[in-house]
Amino acid sequence: MKLQHNIGGIENLDPINFETRVFVEPWEERIFGIHTAMMALSNHLGDSLPDYKIDQVPTEFKSFWTWGHLRMGAESLNPFEYFRLRYYEKWLGGISGFFVEEGYITQAELDERTSQYLAEYSQADATLADLPKGGNMGIDEQVMKYLEEGDSPLRPSDMTPKFSAGDRVKVKNVQPGDHTRLPGHLRGKAAEVVKVYEDAFTYFFPTADGLGSPMPVYSLAFQAKDIWLEDLTDPNMVYYNDIFEVYIEAL
Amino acid sequence: MPSNYPGFEYDADRETVSAAKVKALESLLIEKGVITGQTVDTVLSHFESKMGPFNGAKLVARAWVDPDFKARLLADCNAACEELGFPTGMSGAEGEHMRIAENTPEVHNVIVCSLCSCYPWPTLGLPPYWFKDPTFRARVAREPRVVLSEFGVELDDSVEIRIWDTSAQIRWWVLPMRPEGTENMSEEELAALLTPEAMMGVATVKG
Repeated sequence: MKLQHNIGGIENLDPINFETRVFVEPWEERIFGIHTAMMALSNHLGDSLPDYKIDQVPTEFKSFWTWGHLRMGAESLNPFEYFRLRYYEKWLGGISGFFVEEGYITQAELDERTSQYLAEYSQADATLADLPKGGNMGIDEQVMKYLEEGDSPLRPSDMTPKFSAGDRVKVKNVQPGDHTRLPGHLRGKAAEVVKVYEDAFTYFFPTADGLGSPMPVYSLAFQAKDIWLEDLTDPNMVYYNDIFEVYIEAL
Repeated sequence: MPSNYPGFEYDADRETVSAAKVKALESLLIEKGVITGQTVDTVLSHFESKMGPFNGAKLVARAWVDPDFKARLLADCNAACEELGFPTGMSGAEGEHMRIAENTPEVHNVIVCSLCSCYPWPTLGLPPYWFKDPTFRARVAREPRVVLSEFGVELDDSVEIRIWDTSAQIRWWVLPMRPEGTENMSEEELAALLTPEAMMGVATVKG
Protein backbone atom coordinates (compact mmCIF):
# COMPACT_ATOMS: atom_id res chain seq x y z
CA MET A 1 0.00 0.00 0.00
CA LYS A 2 1.29 3.42 -1.00
CA LEU A 3 0.56 6.61 0.90
CA GLN A 4 0.55 8.43 -2.45
CA HIS A 5 -2.55 6.44 -3.46
CA ASN A 6 -4.27 7.16 -0.17
CA ILE A 7 -4.02 10.93 0.34
CA GLY A 8 -7.76 11.59 0.50
CA GLY A 9 -9.03 12.19 4.02
CA ILE A 10 -5.76 12.24 5.99
CA GLU A 11 -6.29 13.91 9.38
CA ASN A 12 -4.19 16.37 11.41
CA LEU A 13 -2.80 18.30 8.46
CA ASP A 14 -2.13 22.02 8.54
CA PRO A 15 -4.36 24.81 7.21
CA ILE A 16 -4.38 25.21 3.42
CA ASN A 17 -1.36 27.04 2.07
CA PHE A 18 -3.17 29.53 -0.15
CA GLU A 19 -0.28 30.12 -2.55
CA THR A 20 -1.84 31.07 -5.90
CA ARG A 21 1.33 31.18 -8.01
CA VAL A 22 1.90 28.27 -10.39
CA PHE A 23 5.68 28.34 -10.01
CA VAL A 24 7.03 29.36 -6.63
CA GLU A 25 10.71 29.37 -7.74
CA PRO A 26 11.93 30.53 -11.16
CA TRP A 27 13.62 27.18 -11.92
CA GLU A 28 10.31 25.28 -11.66
CA GLU A 29 8.99 26.55 -14.99
CA ARG A 30 11.97 24.99 -16.79
CA ILE A 31 11.19 21.44 -15.66
CA PHE A 32 7.53 21.98 -16.51
CA GLY A 33 8.57 22.98 -20.05
CA ILE A 34 10.84 19.96 -20.42
CA HIS A 35 8.10 17.55 -19.29
CA THR A 36 5.56 19.10 -21.67
CA ALA A 37 8.03 18.83 -24.56
CA MET A 38 8.60 15.15 -23.72
CA MET A 39 4.84 14.51 -23.90
CA ALA A 40 4.72 16.39 -27.21
CA LEU A 41 7.59 14.35 -28.68
CA SER A 42 6.61 10.94 -27.28
CA ASN A 43 6.97 8.08 -29.76
CA HIS A 44 3.39 6.87 -29.19
CA LEU A 45 1.90 9.98 -30.84
CA GLY A 46 2.15 8.28 -34.23
CA ASP A 47 -0.91 6.30 -33.15
CA SER A 48 -2.70 9.33 -31.73
CA LEU A 49 -6.02 10.70 -33.03
CA PRO A 50 -4.45 13.98 -34.28
CA ASP A 51 -2.31 13.49 -37.36
CA TYR A 52 1.18 13.65 -35.89
CA LYS A 53 4.09 12.62 -38.13
CA ILE A 54 6.08 11.83 -35.03
CA ASP A 55 8.68 9.64 -36.74
CA GLN A 56 9.61 12.58 -38.99
CA VAL A 57 10.10 15.09 -36.16
CA PRO A 58 13.83 15.94 -36.04
CA THR A 59 14.34 15.18 -32.34
CA GLU A 60 16.68 12.70 -30.74
CA PHE A 61 13.91 11.88 -28.25
CA LYS A 62 12.69 8.40 -29.14
CA SER A 63 10.94 7.37 -25.90
CA PHE A 64 7.41 6.85 -24.71
CA TRP A 65 6.40 9.53 -22.18
CA THR A 66 2.91 10.38 -20.89
CA TRP A 67 1.45 11.73 -17.65
CA GLY A 68 1.25 8.14 -16.49
CA HIS A 69 5.01 7.78 -16.71
CA LEU A 70 5.57 10.95 -14.69
CA ARG A 71 2.98 9.93 -12.09
CA MET A 72 4.51 6.47 -11.73
CA GLY A 73 7.78 8.09 -10.69
CA ALA A 74 6.10 10.15 -7.96
CA GLU A 75 4.18 7.08 -6.77
CA SER A 76 7.43 5.11 -6.47
CA LEU A 77 9.00 7.58 -4.03
CA ASN A 78 9.45 6.91 -0.36
CA PRO A 79 6.15 8.34 0.98
CA PHE A 80 7.91 10.71 3.37
CA GLU A 81 9.98 12.04 0.47
CA TYR A 82 6.74 12.49 -1.44
CA PHE A 83 5.51 14.86 1.27
CA ARG A 84 8.90 16.45 1.93
CA LEU A 85 9.52 17.41 -1.69
CA ARG A 86 7.65 20.21 -3.40
CA TYR A 87 5.62 19.37 -6.52
CA TYR A 88 8.22 20.29 -9.15
CA GLU A 89 11.08 18.86 -7.08
CA LYS A 90 9.47 15.46 -7.61
CA TRP A 91 9.31 16.18 -11.35
CA LEU A 92 12.97 17.21 -11.50
CA GLY A 93 14.11 14.03 -9.78
CA GLY A 94 11.92 11.75 -11.89
CA ILE A 95 12.65 13.35 -15.25
CA SER A 96 16.41 13.71 -14.81
CA GLY A 97 16.53 10.09 -13.64
CA PHE A 98 14.58 9.03 -16.74
CA PHE A 99 17.04 10.71 -19.12
CA VAL A 100 19.95 8.98 -17.35
CA GLU A 101 18.27 5.56 -17.31
CA GLU A 102 17.33 5.81 -20.99
CA GLY A 103 20.91 6.72 -21.90
CA TYR A 104 20.29 10.22 -23.28
CA ILE A 105 22.75 11.66 -20.74
CA THR A 106 25.02 10.16 -18.10
CA GLN A 107 24.81 10.84 -14.39
CA ALA A 108 28.41 12.08 -14.53
CA GLU A 109 27.56 14.63 -17.25
CA LEU A 110 24.60 15.87 -15.28
CA ASP A 111 26.56 16.13 -12.02
CA GLU A 112 29.47 17.90 -13.68
CA ARG A 113 27.27 20.44 -15.44
CA THR A 114 25.25 20.99 -12.24
CA SER A 115 28.46 21.65 -10.28
CA GLN A 116 29.61 24.12 -12.91
CA TYR A 117 26.39 26.15 -12.65
CA LEU A 118 26.39 25.91 -8.86
CA ALA A 119 29.90 27.34 -8.79
CA GLU A 120 28.69 30.27 -10.90
CA TYR A 121 25.76 30.90 -8.56
CA SER A 122 28.11 30.99 -5.56
CA GLN A 123 30.29 33.76 -7.02
CA ALA A 124 28.66 37.13 -6.69
CA ASP A 125 30.43 38.63 -9.72
CA ALA A 126 30.34 35.56 -11.98
CA THR A 127 28.81 35.80 -15.44
CA LEU A 128 26.13 33.14 -15.66
CA ALA A 129 26.45 30.84 -18.65
CA ASP A 130 23.66 31.10 -21.22
CA LEU A 131 21.73 28.04 -22.28
CA PRO A 132 22.79 26.71 -25.69
CA LYS A 133 20.92 28.32 -28.58
CA GLY A 134 19.56 26.95 -31.82
CA GLY A 135 18.31 23.51 -32.73
CA ASN A 136 15.94 22.20 -35.35
CA MET A 137 12.72 24.24 -35.38
CA GLY A 138 10.80 21.16 -36.50
CA ILE A 139 10.95 20.10 -32.84
CA ASP A 140 9.21 23.25 -31.62
CA GLU A 141 6.63 23.04 -34.39
CA GLN A 142 5.64 19.60 -33.08
CA VAL A 143 5.51 20.92 -29.50
CA MET A 144 3.15 23.72 -30.57
CA LYS A 145 1.02 21.30 -32.56
CA TYR A 146 0.74 19.04 -29.53
CA LEU A 147 -0.33 21.92 -27.27
CA GLU A 148 -3.05 22.86 -29.76
CA GLU A 149 -4.30 19.40 -30.69
CA GLY A 150 -3.57 17.33 -27.60
CA ASP A 151 -3.67 13.58 -27.31
CA SER A 152 -7.23 12.49 -26.71
CA PRO A 153 -7.48 9.09 -25.02
CA LEU A 154 -10.92 8.55 -26.54
CA ARG A 155 -11.16 5.53 -28.82
CA PRO A 156 -14.14 4.43 -30.89
CA SER A 157 -15.63 1.39 -29.26
CA ASP A 158 -18.37 -1.11 -29.84
CA MET A 159 -18.01 -2.38 -26.25
CA THR A 160 -21.26 -2.31 -24.35
CA PRO A 161 -20.68 -0.65 -20.98
CA LYS A 162 -21.37 -3.08 -18.15
CA PHE A 163 -23.27 -0.49 -16.13
CA SER A 164 -25.93 2.14 -16.78
CA ALA A 165 -26.86 5.43 -15.15
CA GLY A 166 -28.74 4.68 -11.93
CA ASP A 167 -26.94 1.40 -11.22
CA ARG A 168 -25.50 0.86 -7.75
CA VAL A 169 -21.87 -0.29 -7.94
CA LYS A 170 -18.97 -1.04 -5.63
CA VAL A 171 -15.36 0.01 -6.15
CA LYS A 172 -13.06 -3.00 -6.27
CA ASN A 173 -10.07 -3.30 -3.99
CA VAL A 174 -7.52 -4.22 -6.66
CA GLN A 175 -3.79 -4.53 -6.10
CA PRO A 176 -2.57 -1.08 -7.24
CA GLY A 177 0.95 -2.06 -8.34
CA ASP A 178 3.34 0.69 -9.46
CA HIS A 179 0.66 3.01 -10.72
CA THR A 180 -3.07 3.39 -10.27
CA ARG A 181 -5.88 5.80 -11.10
CA LEU A 182 -8.02 4.49 -8.25
CA PRO A 183 -8.03 6.81 -5.20
CA GLY A 184 -7.44 4.77 -2.06
CA HIS A 185 -10.27 6.31 -0.06
CA LEU A 186 -12.82 5.00 -2.57
CA ARG A 187 -11.75 1.37 -2.47
CA GLY A 188 -14.55 -0.95 -1.41
CA LYS A 189 -17.07 1.91 -1.29
CA ALA A 190 -20.57 1.90 -2.80
CA ALA A 191 -21.69 4.50 -5.30
CA GLU A 192 -24.29 5.29 -7.93
CA VAL A 193 -23.48 5.57 -11.64
CA VAL A 194 -24.63 9.06 -12.69
CA LYS A 195 -23.17 9.10 -16.19
CA VAL A 196 -21.68 6.69 -18.68
CA TYR A 197 -19.21 8.60 -20.85
CA GLU A 198 -19.41 7.87 -24.56
CA ASP A 199 -16.98 5.53 -26.26
CA ALA A 200 -13.91 4.17 -24.51
CA PHE A 201 -10.75 5.60 -22.98
CA THR A 202 -7.23 4.24 -23.36
CA TYR A 203 -4.51 4.85 -20.79
CA PHE A 204 -1.82 4.53 -23.52
CA PHE A 205 0.07 1.77 -21.66
CA PRO A 206 -0.98 -1.17 -19.51
CA THR A 207 -0.91 -0.87 -15.73
CA ALA A 208 -0.73 -3.81 -13.34
CA ASP A 209 -4.22 -2.97 -12.07
CA GLY A 210 -5.88 -3.28 -15.45
CA LEU A 211 -5.81 0.07 -17.28
CA GLY A 212 -4.54 0.38 -20.82
CA SER A 213 -6.81 -1.06 -23.45
CA PRO A 214 -9.80 1.21 -24.19
CA MET A 215 -12.69 0.79 -21.76
CA PRO A 216 -15.80 2.69 -20.64
CA VAL A 217 -15.46 5.43 -18.04
CA TYR A 218 -18.21 6.38 -15.59
CA SER A 219 -19.06 9.30 -13.35
CA LEU A 220 -19.86 7.89 -9.91
CA ALA A 221 -21.58 9.70 -7.04
CA PHE A 222 -20.60 8.67 -3.50
CA GLN A 223 -22.54 9.83 -0.48
CA ALA A 224 -20.07 11.19 2.07
CA LYS A 225 -21.41 8.81 4.72
CA ASP A 226 -20.52 5.89 2.46
CA ILE A 227 -16.85 6.99 2.40
CA TRP A 228 -16.23 8.50 5.84
CA LEU A 229 -17.42 7.97 9.37
CA GLU A 230 -20.16 10.49 9.89
CA ASP A 231 -18.43 12.47 12.65
CA LEU A 232 -15.31 12.84 10.47
CA THR A 233 -17.01 14.49 7.51
CA ASP A 234 -18.93 17.65 6.70
CA PRO A 235 -22.69 17.62 6.22
CA ASN A 236 -24.48 17.69 2.86
CA MET A 237 -21.69 16.64 0.54
CA VAL A 238 -21.57 14.36 -2.50
CA TYR A 239 -18.27 13.07 -3.85
CA TYR A 240 -18.03 12.54 -7.60
CA ASN A 241 -15.29 10.52 -9.23
CA ASP A 242 -14.63 9.65 -12.87
CA ILE A 243 -13.60 6.03 -12.88
CA PHE A 244 -12.46 3.37 -15.37
CA GLU A 245 -14.73 0.34 -15.74
CA VAL A 246 -12.08 -2.14 -14.60
CA TYR A 247 -12.24 -0.65 -11.10
CA ILE A 248 -15.94 -1.28 -10.41
CA GLU A 249 -18.29 -4.21 -9.95
CA ALA A 250 -22.01 -4.68 -9.39
CA LEU A 251 -23.14 -4.10 -5.82
CA MET B 1 5.98 30.55 2.23
CA PRO B 2 5.42 27.47 0.12
CA SER B 3 8.83 25.86 0.06
CA ASN B 4 8.94 24.00 3.38
CA TYR B 5 6.57 21.25 4.42
CA PRO B 6 6.29 21.24 8.22
CA GLY B 7 8.19 18.55 10.07
CA PHE B 8 10.87 17.97 7.43
CA GLU B 9 14.41 19.25 7.11
CA TYR B 10 15.78 20.98 4.05
CA ASP B 11 19.26 21.95 2.91
CA ALA B 12 20.00 25.67 2.90
CA ASP B 13 21.02 25.50 -0.77
CA ARG B 14 17.86 23.65 -1.76
CA GLU B 15 16.77 26.09 -4.47
CA THR B 16 20.17 26.82 -5.99
CA VAL B 17 20.88 23.09 -6.34
CA SER B 18 17.57 22.55 -8.12
CA ALA B 19 18.13 25.63 -10.30
CA ALA B 20 21.59 24.41 -11.31
CA LYS B 21 20.36 20.88 -11.91
CA VAL B 22 17.44 21.84 -14.15
CA LYS B 23 19.69 24.24 -16.08
CA ALA B 24 22.24 21.43 -16.52
CA LEU B 25 19.51 19.07 -17.72
CA GLU B 26 18.04 21.58 -20.16
CA SER B 27 21.45 22.52 -21.61
CA LEU B 28 22.40 18.84 -22.11
CA LEU B 29 19.06 18.08 -23.77
CA ILE B 30 19.56 21.01 -26.16
CA GLU B 31 23.11 19.94 -27.00
CA LYS B 32 21.98 16.40 -27.69
CA GLY B 33 19.14 17.45 -30.00
CA VAL B 34 16.29 16.28 -27.74
CA ILE B 35 14.82 19.81 -27.56
CA THR B 36 15.94 23.16 -28.97
CA GLY B 37 17.22 26.28 -27.26
CA GLN B 38 13.70 27.73 -27.59
CA THR B 39 11.50 24.75 -26.70
CA VAL B 40 10.92 25.52 -23.03
CA ASP B 41 10.25 29.21 -23.72
CA THR B 42 7.85 28.20 -26.51
CA VAL B 43 5.87 26.08 -24.06
CA LEU B 44 5.82 28.78 -21.40
CA SER B 45 4.72 31.55 -23.76
CA HIS B 46 1.83 29.36 -24.91
CA PHE B 47 0.47 29.44 -21.35
CA GLU B 48 0.89 33.21 -21.14
CA SER B 49 -0.95 34.04 -24.34
CA LYS B 50 -3.10 31.12 -25.49
CA MET B 51 -3.99 28.71 -22.68
CA GLY B 52 -4.94 30.46 -19.47
CA PRO B 53 -7.73 31.47 -17.08
CA PHE B 54 -8.51 34.42 -19.38
CA ASN B 55 -10.21 31.85 -21.67
CA GLY B 56 -12.33 30.41 -18.88
CA ALA B 57 -13.30 33.94 -17.81
CA LYS B 58 -14.59 34.78 -21.31
CA LEU B 59 -16.63 31.58 -21.43
CA VAL B 60 -18.18 32.17 -18.00
CA ALA B 61 -18.99 35.81 -18.80
CA ARG B 62 -20.71 34.73 -22.01
CA ALA B 63 -22.66 32.07 -20.12
CA TRP B 64 -23.81 34.72 -17.62
CA VAL B 65 -25.27 36.96 -20.34
CA ASP B 66 -26.54 34.28 -22.73
CA PRO B 67 -28.66 31.49 -21.21
CA ASP B 68 -28.66 29.51 -24.45
CA PHE B 69 -24.87 29.56 -24.56
CA LYS B 70 -24.79 28.52 -20.91
CA ALA B 71 -26.96 25.51 -21.70
CA ARG B 72 -24.60 24.52 -24.51
CA LEU B 73 -21.52 25.05 -22.32
CA LEU B 74 -22.98 22.76 -19.66
CA ALA B 75 -24.00 20.15 -22.24
CA ASP B 76 -20.76 20.10 -24.26
CA CYS B 77 -17.93 22.28 -22.97
CA ASN B 78 -15.57 21.65 -25.89
CA ALA B 79 -18.19 22.42 -28.53
CA ALA B 80 -19.06 25.67 -26.75
CA CYS B 81 -15.37 26.67 -26.69
CA GLU B 82 -15.17 26.13 -30.42
CA GLU B 83 -18.31 28.16 -30.96
CA LEU B 84 -16.80 31.25 -29.31
CA GLY B 85 -14.13 31.32 -31.98
CA PHE B 86 -11.21 30.65 -29.69
CA PRO B 87 -7.94 29.88 -31.42
CA THR B 88 -7.34 26.24 -32.17
CA GLY B 89 -6.15 24.54 -29.05
CA MET B 90 -9.26 24.88 -26.91
CA SER B 91 -9.51 21.13 -27.26
CA GLY B 92 -5.73 20.80 -26.99
CA ALA B 93 -3.47 19.24 -24.42
CA GLU B 94 -5.30 18.50 -21.16
CA GLY B 95 -8.52 19.90 -22.57
CA GLU B 96 -9.56 17.12 -24.89
CA HIS B 97 -12.56 16.26 -22.70
CA MET B 98 -13.65 19.13 -20.47
CA ARG B 99 -16.84 19.46 -18.43
CA ILE B 100 -18.11 22.35 -16.34
CA ALA B 101 -20.24 22.11 -13.16
CA GLU B 102 -22.66 24.94 -12.40
CA ASN B 103 -22.91 26.61 -9.00
CA THR B 104 -26.42 27.60 -7.90
CA PRO B 105 -27.92 28.84 -4.61
CA GLU B 106 -28.48 25.16 -3.73
CA VAL B 107 -25.28 23.54 -5.05
CA HIS B 108 -21.60 24.48 -4.74
CA ASN B 109 -18.96 22.62 -6.77
CA VAL B 110 -15.25 22.19 -6.01
CA ILE B 111 -12.65 20.45 -8.19
CA VAL B 112 -9.78 18.34 -6.89
CA CYS B 113 -7.38 15.76 -8.24
CA SER B 114 -6.73 13.56 -5.24
CA LEU B 115 -4.09 11.44 -7.04
CA CYS B 116 -2.10 14.22 -8.78
CA SER B 117 -3.02 17.59 -10.31
CA CYS B 118 -5.28 17.07 -13.36
CA TYR B 119 -6.55 20.44 -14.59
CA PRO B 120 -8.26 21.86 -17.73
CA TRP B 121 -5.34 23.66 -19.37
CA PRO B 122 -7.18 25.37 -22.24
CA THR B 123 -9.73 27.10 -20.02
CA LEU B 124 -7.78 27.60 -16.78
CA GLY B 125 -4.10 27.35 -17.75
CA LEU B 126 -1.79 25.78 -15.18
CA PRO B 127 -2.90 24.90 -11.66
CA PRO B 128 -1.91 27.13 -8.74
CA TYR B 129 0.42 25.78 -6.07
CA TRP B 130 -2.30 25.17 -3.45
CA PHE B 131 -4.20 22.83 -5.82
CA LYS B 132 -1.12 20.61 -6.23
CA ASP B 133 -0.24 20.60 -2.53
CA PRO B 134 -1.11 17.28 -0.83
CA THR B 135 -2.70 19.18 2.08
CA PHE B 136 -5.52 20.55 -0.08
CA ARG B 137 -5.98 17.25 -1.92
CA ALA B 138 -6.19 15.31 1.34
CA ARG B 139 -8.43 17.66 3.28
CA VAL B 140 -11.01 18.74 0.70
CA ALA B 141 -11.93 15.10 0.12
CA ARG B 142 -13.30 14.77 3.65
CA GLU B 143 -13.90 18.23 5.12
CA PRO B 144 -14.69 20.60 2.23
CA ARG B 145 -16.65 23.05 4.39
CA VAL B 146 -13.71 23.60 6.69
CA VAL B 147 -11.37 23.97 3.72
CA LEU B 148 -13.72 26.40 1.98
CA SER B 149 -13.99 28.51 5.11
CA GLU B 150 -10.19 28.75 5.18
CA PHE B 151 -10.45 30.11 1.63
CA GLY B 152 -13.05 32.61 2.91
CA VAL B 153 -16.12 30.88 1.48
CA GLU B 154 -18.76 30.27 4.15
CA LEU B 155 -21.63 28.08 2.99
CA ASP B 156 -24.82 27.31 4.82
CA ASP B 157 -25.28 23.62 5.61
CA SER B 158 -28.33 23.66 3.34
CA VAL B 159 -26.03 24.15 0.31
CA GLU B 160 -24.97 20.79 -1.13
CA ILE B 161 -21.25 20.56 -1.80
CA ARG B 162 -20.20 18.50 -4.79
CA ILE B 163 -16.56 17.44 -5.03
CA TRP B 164 -15.31 16.53 -8.52
CA ASP B 165 -12.27 14.24 -8.25
CA THR B 166 -10.68 13.80 -11.69
CA SER B 167 -9.03 10.38 -11.64
CA ALA B 168 -9.85 9.54 -15.26
CA GLN B 169 -9.38 11.81 -18.27
CA ILE B 170 -12.30 14.21 -17.98
CA ARG B 171 -11.14 17.67 -16.90
CA TRP B 172 -13.66 19.48 -14.68
CA TRP B 173 -14.02 23.16 -13.84
CA VAL B 174 -16.69 25.32 -12.23
CA LEU B 175 -19.24 27.83 -13.54
CA PRO B 176 -19.56 30.26 -10.61
CA MET B 177 -22.68 32.27 -9.79
CA ARG B 178 -22.94 35.75 -11.26
CA PRO B 179 -22.72 38.29 -8.43
CA GLU B 180 -25.62 40.60 -7.68
CA GLY B 181 -25.38 44.20 -8.82
CA THR B 182 -23.64 43.39 -12.10
CA GLU B 183 -26.73 43.70 -14.34
CA ASN B 184 -25.30 46.66 -16.24
CA MET B 185 -21.81 45.30 -16.74
CA SER B 186 -20.51 44.39 -20.19
CA GLU B 187 -19.29 40.89 -20.95
CA GLU B 188 -15.73 42.19 -20.81
CA GLU B 189 -16.26 43.76 -17.38
CA LEU B 190 -17.83 40.54 -16.13
CA ALA B 191 -14.88 38.49 -17.38
CA ALA B 192 -12.53 40.76 -15.42
CA LEU B 193 -14.28 39.77 -12.17
CA LEU B 194 -13.29 36.12 -12.53
CA THR B 195 -10.33 34.43 -10.84
CA PRO B 196 -8.96 30.91 -11.33
CA GLU B 197 -10.06 30.15 -7.77
CA ALA B 198 -13.68 31.10 -8.58
CA MET B 199 -13.60 28.71 -11.54
CA MET B 200 -12.23 25.96 -9.28
CA GLY B 201 -14.91 26.45 -6.63
CA VAL B 202 -12.86 27.83 -3.74
CA ALA B 203 -13.90 31.47 -4.18
CA THR B 204 -17.08 33.32 -4.96
CA VAL B 205 -17.17 36.15 -7.48
CA LYS B 206 -17.40 39.67 -6.07
CA GLY B 207 -19.29 42.30 -8.05
